[in-house]
Amino acid sequence: MRTCVHFYSYCKELTGQTSVLENMEAGSRIEDLLRKLMVRFPKLAPAQQSLLVAVGVDYQRADYVLQEGDEVSIFPPVQGG
Amino acid sequence: MRRELDITTDKIDEAALLKRRKLLGDMGAVVCFSGIVRGEEDGNPIAALDYEVFAPMARRQFELIFDQVEKRWPVASIRLVHRVGRVAAGEPSLWLETIAPHREEAFAASQFIITEMKRTVPIWKRAVAG
Repeated sequence: MRTCVHFYSYCKELTGQTSVLENMEAGSRIEDLLRKLMVRFPKLAPAQQSLLVAVGVDYQRADYVLQEGDEVSIFPPVQGG
Repeated sequence: MRRELDITTDKIDEAALLKRRKLLGDMGAVVCFSGIVRGEEDGNPIAALDYEVFAPMARRQFELIFDQVEKRWPVASIRLVHRVGRVAAGEPSLWLETIAPHREEAFAASQFIITEMKRTVPIWKRAVAG
């Protein structure tokens, strides 16, 4: 299963990408995806604890099971206003 | 509850927004808030803030916040404008108007909206050196 991951704010600088595709096994969770991303983009690792994750336009927890076609977004704490 | 949300790169035109205000007879409180870009950050002068937004999700999260307001307070109207892109120091980046029958719910709802926005709405800012 190919999962599209988008990066926002300084996650773009840390990865050097705005979006990437990751091959994931069926039944993988967000925590599995994050593990792969930390290996692929080691500069992201120090920020991992504060990163927020959304699927589509909703926040999801680390145990969310990824579905075919999910668009995942990863970003730091928000700062509107 | 009337809702109006605008996430825009345009300057916030407060005069135009005030002109379009609609009040009903039983509404006794209007709370208006403007968030202004300060000219310094961490003690250093800045010229502007660059705001980045994940727009579809920001709209969704604002709607979820408005849903909560509607459940908690008898608010008649919320209008919110968030400017994104480059906003110069001294200019507003946020404008919020909350209309309710009484001041308690108008203030409480306004405070709630801004607090929740800063917790859940995917907008980020970056200082531009002055």
